[in-house]
Amino acid sequence: MTSSDQQEDSNLSEVNGLAIINSKAPFSSNYGKDALDVALIFGSFEQKVSLFFQGDGVYQLIANQDASLVSIKDYLKTFSAFEFYDIEDIYVCQQSLVNRQLDEAFHIDDVQVLASVEFGKALNRHQHVLRF
Amino acid sequence: MKTLAVVVTTPPYSHLTITALTYVETALAAGINVIGVFFYQDGAMHANENISIASDEYQAIAHWQRLNQQYQLPLHICITAAEMRGIACDSIDNEQINEAFTVSGLGELVELTTKATRLVQF
Repeated sequence: MTSSDQQEDSNLSEVNGLAIINSKAPFSSNYGKDALDVALIFGSFEQKVSLFFQGDGVYQLIANQDASLVSIKDYLKTFSAFEFYDIEDIYVCQQSLVNRQLDEAFHIDDVQVLASVEFGKALNRHQHVLRF
Repeated sequence: MKTLAVVVTTPPYSHLTITALTYVETALAAGINVIGVFFYQDGAMHANENISIASDEYQAIAHWQRLNQQYQLPLHICITAAEMRGIACDSIDNEQINEAFTVSGLGELVELTTKATRLVQF
């Protein structure tokens, strides 16, 4: 085994779990709900899962939205259950917020706002990635 | 041994599905252990026996069926995704579901993900 192989192995030993990237706005499609269902299943099977919000996906975290106004069942309310599923690593892309002139006012606590490079590094710590 | 699991979210009439099929078939032909394909979102439509695509176009469902037979490749559909797309999953000998596919839930996705060295989504 070469030293570069060992280096790679030690990097791999630090990565684990599933990262779910949310990239779509909440009410125009079912993507957000589909991602939520996957996150909760992994949580209930006690598998490590982290959530990433990027692009229009950041709209899923914005406070004071009322899905009932557009006749949609508000799956965003379920985000408050993340702590019961031990989903603690929730990251949002700062640049995506800035581009949309959104404040860091989220409807759940403990969301970590990360600059693009840090966002990428956090993503890179995961073995698997699913994008919705 | 390194293992691969694949998630397909595109419908059978999508050209992106051809990319997924080519990828999976190339992996299988190279001797890579593909432990299963999980069909989620519009991907669940692959199991609908009633889908008919013009005969001169790419037959994605037939190709999945071929890979299932040739390599014993497990093909799982998400029951929730399938039912909301009009595929009734209530009985085992359901003629509406293509026999190459297994009706599963998201728990199967957890299973595949934890067993796989790598997970690739289409």
